[in-house]
Amino acid sequence: MSHQTESPPTNQSEIWYTADLRRYGRGIGGVAAFLAVWWVGALLTQPSYLLPTPEESARAFVELFATSTAVSAPFLGPELVLPTGLAHLVETLYHYIPGLLSGAVCGIGLGLTMGWSGRLDDWLQPLIRLLRPIPPLAWIVFAIVWFGIHHTGAAFIVFIGAFWINFYGAYGGVEGVDSELTDAASTLGVDRDLSMLKLVALPSAAPQILTGFRTSIGRCWMIVVGAELFGAPGVGYEIINASNNLAMATSVAYMLLISLAFLCMDVGFRLLERRALAWR
Amino acid sequence: MAIIDSNPTETARTKKIDVRNLNVVYDSGGGSVQALSEVSLSVAEGSFTCIVGPSGCGKTTLLRTIAGLESADSGRILVDDEPVTGAGLDRGMVFQEYALFPWRTVRGNIRFGLERPDCGCADCEGRVDELIDLVGLDGFEETYPKALSGGMKQRVGIARAIAPDPEILLMDEPFGSVDARTRDRLHTELLDIWAATDQTIVFVTHDIDEAVRLANEIIVMDADPGSVQSTRSVSLSRPRNRTDTAFVDVVADIRTELGEPVETQ
Repeated sequence: MSHQTESPPTNQSEIWYTADLRRYGRGIGGVAAFLAVWWVGALLTQPSYLLPTPEESARAFVELFATSTAVSAPFLGPELVLPTGLAHLVETLYHYIPGLLSGAVCGIGLGLTMGWSGRLDDWLQPLIRLLRPIPPLAWIVFAIVWFGIHHTGAAFIVFIGAFWINFYGAYGGVEGVDSELTDAASTLGVDRDLSMLKLVALPSAAPQILTGFRTSIGRCWMIVVGAELFGAPGVGYEIINASNNLAMATSVAYMLLISLAFLCMDVGFRLLERRALAWR
Repeated sequence: MAIIDSNPTETARTKKIDVRNLNVVYDSGGGSVQALSEVSLSVAEGSFTCIVGPSGCGKTTLLRTIAGLESADSGRILVDDEPVTGAGLDRGMVFQEYALFPWRTVRGNIRFGLERPDCGCADCEGRVDELIDLVGLDGFEETYPKALSGGMKQRVGIARAIAPDPEILLMDEPFGSVDARTRDRLHTELLDIWAATDQTIVFVTHDIDEAVRLANEIIVMDADPGSVQSTRSVSLSRPRNRTDTAFVDVVADIRTELGEPVETQ
C-alpha cells in the first residue's frame, strides 16, 4: 500500500508566489486604468453633474458614514440610529435576508423532493417550465397589490429570485447522485426514502446546492435593487432618490456600497463552503 | 443444483442461499436482454463461493439480485429459507468501484451501517476501532476517501460491509481496480477475515486465478443468456500457491471449460 505525502518542492512554491504577485499587479493595473479613464471622462463630460469624478464619488461615499439616519427596525426595537449608508443597508437587509433564506429553503426543499421522486417530477415539470422564464421583477405587480411595496413586497420578489436558483441547484444535485452510493446505502440498512434523502442524496448534492445558494446571493442583490427602484426602502431606493436630486456622486456611492456588501457576503460564504466541502 | 448433492462433505452444511429458476430481463433501447436465464444454485453456509465467467454472463446481475438491488422477473432467491424482497443488513456488499461516501471519513464510512436504529451494537465506536485495526487502516481514521489509494479504499469498503456483522458478504469484482501486488495482499487479508468470522462469502470475478486462489466452491457461468455452466469444489490445501501443479491444473480446467486459451509456460 502506498500513501505518498509529497509536498511540492520549495522552488515550485516560489514560482507560484511570483505568479500570484504578478497577477495581483495586473489586477491593480486594471483598476487604476479604469479609474483614469473614468476620471478623464468625467472631466470632459458637460454638464459635469452627468458623471461625477471618482474623487467626488469617494467623498460622497465617506459622507454616507459621516451623517446618521434613523430607520425603523422591526424586531430590533422601534428605531435605530445608524450612519446613513449603514441605515439604508439595514433597510435593504430587512427584505433581502428573509427573501433569500425563505426562497433558498423552499427552492432546495422542492428541488430535493422533485429530483428524488420521479412521480412528483412528472406532475410538476410542465408547471416549472412555464413559471421559470418569468423574470422575478415581473411579479412586482403582485407584490404591490398583495403586500404593498414595502419590506414584504420586496422580500417576495427576492424570494422568487432565490427560489429558482436554489431549486435548480438542488434538483441537479440530486439527479446526479451516483446510484452506486444509494445501492451501498441500501445494503447498509437504509430502507426509507427520507433516510436515503438525508444520508445520501443531501450530502452528495451539497456541492451543487451550495453553489446554487452562492449564486443566489449575488442574483438577489440585483433583484433587491430592482425591487427598491419601485419604492421599497433601502440602498436601491437611495440610488434613484439621489439621482432624482441630481446627486449622481451619491448614487455611485450607494452602488459601491452594494458591491462591497455583496463581496463581503460572497467571500464569507466561500469560506464556509470550503470548510463544508473539505472532503472534495 | 449440484453443489451440495455432488459433494458429500458439504451435505452436513445447511444451504445459506438457494436460487431457484431465476430469470432477470433488462429492457435495453426497444429490445429486452435476458441477463439471467433459469439460474439455479445454492451456496452452503460458511463457504467461500466464487462466480466466474466471461463478461455479459450475468454474474454481477446475479450477485446484485441476491443483494436485493435488482428484482427477479421470475424464480426466487431464498436466504435462510426466507425469500429476498430487498436489500438488508444480513447481506453486506463490496463494490468494484468501492462506492465509498466521499463526504465521510474512513471512520464515518465504516460506521455508516452501525448508525441505523436497528443495528443495536452496544459499543459502535469500539466496533469501528476494531475494524479499522482489522483492515490495517490505523492512523487513517479521519482521512477522506479522495486521499486513499485504491487498495486502501477497498479495505474501507470491506470494513464498512462487515461492520453490521452480516451473515453473507457479497463481493463484486472487489479487487478488479487495484494493482497485482496489492491484490495479492488483499487476498490474504480477506481469507484471514473469512477464517476469523463464520461469514458466507460470494465473490464475483472474471479472473480464474483469483477464484482458484480464494474459493472452496466455484460456479462457472456462461453468457447469452446468462446461465450456470458448472459448479465445482476446490479442495486444494491452503495457503494456495499459483505455481503449484494442482493449482495450475484447476485453472486450466476452468479455462478449457470456458473455451479460453490455456497458457502454457
